[in-house]
Amino acid sequence: MTRLVRKLALLLRRDRFRSDLDEEMAFHRAEAEQSLIASGVAPRAARRVAKGQFGNQAKLREQSHEAVAFRLETVWQDCRYAIRQMLRAPGFTLSVGLTLALGIGANTAIFSVVHATLLRDLPYPDAGKVVRIEDLPLKGTSAEGLTGVPRVFDLQTRSKSFSSIGLMYLDTQTLTDGNRLPEQLEVAAVSAPFWRVLETKPLKGRVFDEREDHANSAPVAVLSFSAWQRLFGGDPGVVGRVVTINRQPTTLIGVMPPSFEMPAQTDLWRPAQLDPAQWSVYRGDGTRWANVFAKIKPGVTETAAAAELRSLASQLAVEHPQTDSDWQFRLIPLREFLHGTVKPALLVLFAASAVLLLIACLNVGNLMLARAVGRQHEVALRQALGASRARVMRQLLTEATMLSVLGGTLGCVAAFALVGFAGPILPSALRAPGGVAIDWPVAGFALAVSLITGALVAVAPAWGACRAGLNESLKSSGGRLTGSSGDSTRSYFIALQVGLSLVLLVSACLLAESLWNLTRTPLGFRPDHVLTFDLKLPWNSEPGSVSRFYDEVQRRIEALPGVTAVGTGVLPTSAINLRVSYDVDWRPRTEHKDAVSAQSVVVSGDYLRAMGVPLLAGRPVKPNELTVIVNQEFVRQYLPDRNPLGRHILFSGPQGGAEAREIVGITGNTRGIGGSLARPVQPELYVEALGYQVGRSFVVRSPLPPESLFPAIRDQVRQVDPQQAIGEPRTLDAMVQKSVAQPRLNMALLVSFAAIALALACVGIYGVVAYSVAQRRQEIGVRMALGASRGQISALFLERTLASAMIGLAAGCVAASLLTQLLRSQLYGVQPNDPMTFLIATLLLLAPVFAASLRPALKAASVDPMEALRTE
Amino acid sequence: MAKKPDLLPGTLDMLILKTLTRAPLHGYGIALSIKRISDEVLTVEEGSLYPALQRLLVQGWVKAEWKMTETNRRARFYTLTDAGRKQLGLEVSEFERMIAAIGRVLQDQQHGPQEA
Repeated sequence: MTRLVRKLALLLRRDRFRSDLDEEMAFHRAEAEQSLIASGVAPRAARRVAKGQFGNQAKLREQSHEAVAFRLETVWQDCRYAIRQMLRAPGFTLSVGLTLALGIGANTAIFSVVHATLLRDLPYPDAGKVVRIEDLPLKGTSAEGLTGVPRVFDLQTRSKSFSSIGLMYLDTQTLTDGNRLPEQLEVAAVSAPFWRVLETKPLKGRVFDEREDHANSAPVAVLSFSAWQRLFGGDPGVVGRVVTINRQPTTLIGVMPPSFEMPAQTDLWRPAQLDPAQWSVYRGDGTRWANVFAKIKPGVTETAAAAELRSLASQLAVEHPQTDSDWQFRLIPLREFLHGTVKPALLVLFAASAVLLLIACLNVGNLMLARAVGRQHEVALRQALGASRARVMRQLLTEATMLSVLGGTLGCVAAFALVGFAGPILPSALRAPGGVAIDWPVAGFALAVSLITGALVAVAPAWGACRAGLNESLKSSGGRLTGSSGDSTRSYFIALQVGLSLVLLVSACLLAESLWNLTRTPLGFRPDHVLTFDLKLPWNSEPGSVSRFYDEVQRRIEALPGVTAVGTGVLPTSAINLRVSYDVDWRPRTEHKDAVSAQSVVVSGDYLRAMGVPLLAGRPVKPNELTVIVNQEFVRQYLPDRNPLGRHILFSGPQGGAEAREIVGITGNTRGIGGSLARPVQPELYVEALGYQVGRSFVVRSPLPPESLFPAIRDQVRQVDPQQAIGEPRTLDAMVQKSVAQPRLNMALLVSFAAIALALACVGIYGVVAYSVAQRRQEIGVRMALGASRGQISALFLERTLASAMIGLAAGCVAASLLTQLLRSQLYGVQPNDPMTFLIATLLLLAPVFAASLRPALKAASVDPMEALRTE
Repeated sequence: MAKKPDLLPGTLDMLILKTLTRAPLHGYGIALSIKRISDEVLTVEEGSLYPALQRLLVQGWVKAEWKMTETNRRARFYTLTDAGRKQLGLEVSEFERMIAAIGRVLQDQQHGPQEA
């Protein structure tokens, strides 16, 4: 203890300690000199002997110092020395710093998203126990896991593995409040147990319970944080206020915290008010619109819960063979549901950023190695003065770590700026509850990456420095005639860089090609010059009034100047997926086995013309006529060898009987109806909208800029019904662009990673070749003196570089063909191991690599043999 | 240059402490004193003397203060502390125990080298 205090005191009076020691030794020397002179030695010789007795003064001082000082202090010393070294070579420091900043910055930015979506705890208590229960068809296309309402009731009453099972469905409703303009809200209708599944305390007020979730209880609603801010300006007195939602006075009872985004972009939650007595009657697919969330009971495993769900599904299949036999429950963790779709893309990007960092490390390591060779003299001198090998290693390691921390800091700042800028505009699947941010775990990650990077880049120079013999490097001026042993290291370096860059390039090319395919494949409709918007009447409006409303709006918009065509129908890329089965008159009928299944596109007005979908045969549907139009795919699947026109499809009529509707026209195929543009084309059936279709999306085509029509349209809608809000006015172009935002972002990131990697690789290879040319000047001189032509000299260097590059290419191709399998789910219209793409990537890589090695190779040929030999 | 045999490891501290029992001395004086008393058999390398003195200082076995010498030069004089005196006792008895042990081994004539 007292020893520590004494050491601390010495540490504080470091300078005093040093001067004491110096004076003491000077005194010692003087006394020794005096006594030598007294014994008859000449003064000059006496001084030399006295001085010699002490031996290496610097070493002595260091030993005395080490006896009293802390390890820590030598670290601090090393840091100061490293900073001096860095300041002395600002160009080197800057290029190393920037290279590492790129690598570390890219990693940190991607990690911040990975952390927010895949790693960080979801902001719900015990979120690991929260699952989504999906209802999946045993065969055929998925209905996105939506469950029929009666099956939810069955789960609630029969299952024993869950503490709560809540349901949710999405709706848009109209808010009217005082004399403000009506506004469409994104509403999540949820059952009372939903709140017990997520267990999040409201920021203000309360959430609702079973008493308010009854069919006839007074309407209440819970606001989301963003809606509270946007609609009510964060008014603290909002709880208890009564507003009109869908023409009903509704009491606002609470506000949720900002991190509660279930689902994202919800404005308010209201009770679903589904009464089992009323909703259990009909078990068909008409009620298949419930999202089910549940919390597993403590002590029950996920596997056990899943097994129980499977046995419940088979029970139901036995009890209701006609409706429930083809469906099976599946259970997925909440995180998987929220971010599962982006996981593969994120992992690919994360891997890509890691490869980029590796390339950056290689480059920096190589720079450090070249510098270390230049500093061999210094290192040898330090060793001669008594620095131990470990001490020199530590010094070099400290320098490398300082450099990488500098790079890490720059990278962190860049990532911070990037996340701040790009975070809010990320595609929705990447948006995490609570947002993407550089928080402590992410900063810790950046620091760890910086330190590991430092250790990685320090290995090469430290190894190189200590391998070199002390005497040899003090003596020689570095001129070696034979190819130095560093050459093989450099070949590895070139091969590795080329290989890694190729992996990135191939991935980038594949994604670029996919995006190209996705946007260039004919859409089947013309997205330019089209404005779209949504209208939605309350669900319980009287069918006659719904038809009258929409007819009137249609008529008024048609009459606006500059409007070419107006209609309502399904908007491409919106996730309205309505796959319906029908009987037909050209196939035999069997009970519960419908003959055809098609995407049902409910339209009205002049939808096809407004969308720009071509009518290939037949005629459009006339108003108030019960006929249908099918697309080419429908014909290909169900009527390949007959004339489709004049055939009939059987709809269930209003009184339960069948109602035959004639096929009067055939349209071209369109992409993106009922989901993503990447989805294969479905058979489609265009049917006229009926009075119960309360919500419709309008499509308005005009040669004018589409947005300019909107004010006039809004006025017309208000004149028809002042209580109606217009939701989401946007152009069809913007919708299509938005739907490819995620693939576009992936591609942009990967392409920029690949470009940076390529640039780094070229710079690195240039450096390596130029360095080896400089080192082998004398050898070049000798070769020339022995008769080698300039061309041969250039070829020598070029050959060596390209041979290494080829090895790298071969290895890179193998690695890429394995790694691009990860990309499979992200690709559209191209295979992961597409040979053409590999060829293009290889050429893209070889051209700049060739250029980068050509320049120094040509320079090698311009060496003057006389001069090169003379400098020996 | 012929190398003189090194001091037995760990004995330098003891010699310094012992030298200081008679009077406070400066570093040069300590080196000189050890050399003289040992009839020039033991020479303390300056290279080990000063680090050893720093070690003793940190352990608290000696104290140092700047004083003037007879020749009127400033020098750093080391004084033995109580803790140092105690330490010296410990080291001396330990050393004697070891020397005796070594002596017994060297004087042993009854036993020849053991077979392996």
